[in-house]
Amino acid sequence: MMKKLSGARIVIEALIQENVKVIFGYPGGAVLPIYDELFKQNKIRHILVRHEQAAVHAAEGYARSTGKVGVVLVTSGPGATNTVTGLTDAMMDSVPVVCISGQVPTHMIGNDAFQEADIVGITRPCTKHNYLVKEISKLAESIHSAFHIAKNGRPGPVLVDIPKDIQTFETKYGGKKHTKSFAFYKPNTKPSRDTIFEFVNLLEKSKKPIFYVGGGVINSGSRASIYLKKLLKITGFPCTQTLMGLGATPTSDDQFIGMLGMHGTYEANLSMNKSDLMICIGARFDDRITGKVSGFSPKSKKVHLDIDASSFNKSVNVDLLIQGDLSKILEMTLKYIENKRISFSKEKISAWWIQINKWRAKNCLNYKNSRSIIKPQYALQRLDFLTKHLDPFITTEVGQHQMWAAQFLTFNKPKHWMTSGGLGTMGYGLPAAMGVQIAHPKDLVIDVAGEASILMNIQEMSTIKQYRLPVKIFILNNHYMGMVRQWQELLHGNRLSESYMDSLPDFVKLAESFGATGLRVSKPGEMDDLIKEMIKIKGPVICDVVVDPKENCFPMIPSGSTHDQMLLGPNDKLEGEISEEGMVLV
Amino acid sequence: MTESHSKHILSIMVDNEPGVLARIVGLFSGRGYNIESLSVSEVDSDKFLSRVTVVTSGTKNIIDQIKAQVRKLIPVHNLIDITELKSFIGKELILMKLDIKQKTVQEVHKHIENIGAKILFEDKTTTIIEFSGTPTEISGLIKKMKVYNIIELTRSGLVSMALGKDYIRR
Repeated sequence: MMKKLSGARIVIEALIQENVKVIFGYPGGAVLPIYDELFKQNKIRHILVRHEQAAVHAAEGYARSTGKVGVVLVTSGPGATNTVTGLTDAMMDSVPVVCISGQVPTHMIGNDAFQEADIVGITRPCTKHNYLVKEISKLAESIHSAFHIAKNGRPGPVLVDIPKDIQTFETKYGGKKHTKSFAFYKPNTKPSRDTIFEFVNLLEKSKKPIFYVGGGVINSGSRASIYLKKLLKITGFPCTQTLMGLGATPTSDDQFIGMLGMHGTYEANLSMNKSDLMICIGARFDDRITGKVSGFSPKSKKVHLDIDASSFNKSVNVDLLIQGDLSKILEMTLKYIENKRISFSKEKISAWWIQINKWRAKNCLNYKNSRSIIKPQYALQRLDFLTKHLDPFITTEVGQHQMWAAQFLTFNKPKHWMTSGGLGTMGYGLPAAMGVQIAHPKDLVIDVAGEASILMNIQEMSTIKQYRLPVKIFILNNHYMGMVRQWQELLHGNRLSESYMDSLPDFVKLAESFGATGLRVSKPGEMDDLIKEMIKIKGPVICDVVVDPKENCFPMIPSGSTHDQMLLGPNDKLEGEISEEGMVLV
Repeated sequence: MTESHSKHILSIMVDNEPGVLARIVGLFSGRGYNIESLSVSEVDSDKFLSRVTVVTSGTKNIIDQIKAQVRKLIPVHNLIDITELKSFIGKELILMKLDIKQKTVQEVHKHIENIGAKILFEDKTTTIIEFSGTPTEISGLIKKMKVYNIIELTRSGLVSMALGKDYIRR
């Protein structure tokens, strides 16, 4: 005999059935019954954040570093609306998150009740799907469907809004197995055979190929990374990765030619521009990648491998598209190559590699180092050198520091790099790092931050203190919203409107006030000692790295330009004015 | 870009649940697609399925993108582009209220009869007529009736169906 359980209890039982170990949340009036049930059990750990946006970012960090679904629990009204930025972030970067929100009781819905917000209406465009549970009989299926939808196909956030009366009503719950799923959601994961033949045929013919690899490979799971590594080895083709794709295959590999896009390497962008075959794997031809679309890789045949059909031909038309789970596509491709005993001649692409190595020799990430002032690039190079043997998990905020981190750090494993790519959410890194640290308590987790971004979710220092999370915060402090200032210099006559960060806190004292260690450094000679000390300290650390306030991030493709129109350094001048078309681009 | 825009009729089978129309309409407005006509009603009360007909226009790329995006919505079971099938019919219903002077009654009646419209209601001063036809026929009717005083009118939006063996699966 199935026992009758309250809605709140069913929520907890369903989460246990979904193998949830941790949830990130913040209580409030409309979720009190669920918090009460949470109190009565010990299978699920609750992490109390200090702001609901941070709960979602923490869940994202947890999800991205483990491949599991991140779970959030918040109250109605402001609790729910505070999650919107996080949910949009998860939507843009395809992160599986389930967000459970309380709602005013069903009979109050629509009455402008206290702490009422139409969160299902508000989050419709920024979730993969959402539910308002109006009947207790639909509660269990809503939660199980939410998990199913969040992790299958192209992952994304799903919100389940549960009115308070539903949480107190009782019904029978027989576990996941006995809950019929009403989610009509079966994404096509199996590629068609014919397209694989065609794909391999194109690989064989190409003289100037390039693999353009995105975060989809990481989302597909570790098998996808292994297969891709194998395919790279068999073909000998060069590989570039997007911001989201870093670590899909090791970035220390010789065939890796750097990140591509607006702040990508010279060799990666020119290879894209001059290639005759572009193999896009789990990326989406985002505007940061393509630059001006009409001049994007004009001479290449383009192949696109992705699970999401709406990513095909969205901004760039491709010649061959293969829909399916990337692990399956890559596995089938390797099998086909093996069965047909196809070998790839390195000679065929040798001229291409000679060309690429010439571009590489330009050493585009070079910068003018200084003995008196810390260059942000130098700080990151040292951080990389002194930590990479520990395979650290890196999160970032958004801005110049994020691009430098992408350029200068090594990513040898997937799921070790968490950054807000699509939405570009300042304030992402610190809560994301918390989520990562919760999932990997023994590992080194570093939030590479800017002094502006870090202040957007600085309240989470309190969460870090409460759970003794040994997160290391590495602030590249240049006293500016650096990326904003860089654009103002480039596009707005050096009028630095509101981009100077005045009245900053003393980050060392701030750290201390939250029981963390604060370290400050301003001389290049002291950099290594600071990093070594940071690693040695068992608890949380804020490093205030005072860097050159004027340094800018290069290479850069100015907006509205193409891959072969890069600015390589501060002395590189724009050819003519930036077009009006380019000016309006973000 | 001089790529040609063309009109497409999309037939979409969806779960008849709260918010499903908002999802479709929100997708169109959020991504800047155009809705020229929209019609929706439940067609299967056992399985709670509704059929939505959207008339939209755009370049081939935009239309492909619209279809892919709509198919991604969880409550969407199936979508077919009726315009891309061999042949189809598309009909719309119009109700029109006319202010008719007594002396023109006979003339109007004759007119209505010729067109094939039906009189649904009549009193001393007003007449409501019903007519179904293709959008072109309906627009033609409105034009013709303008000489009489049209008080109000309402159109159902296009509903459409493929001819022969083509049909939308549930």
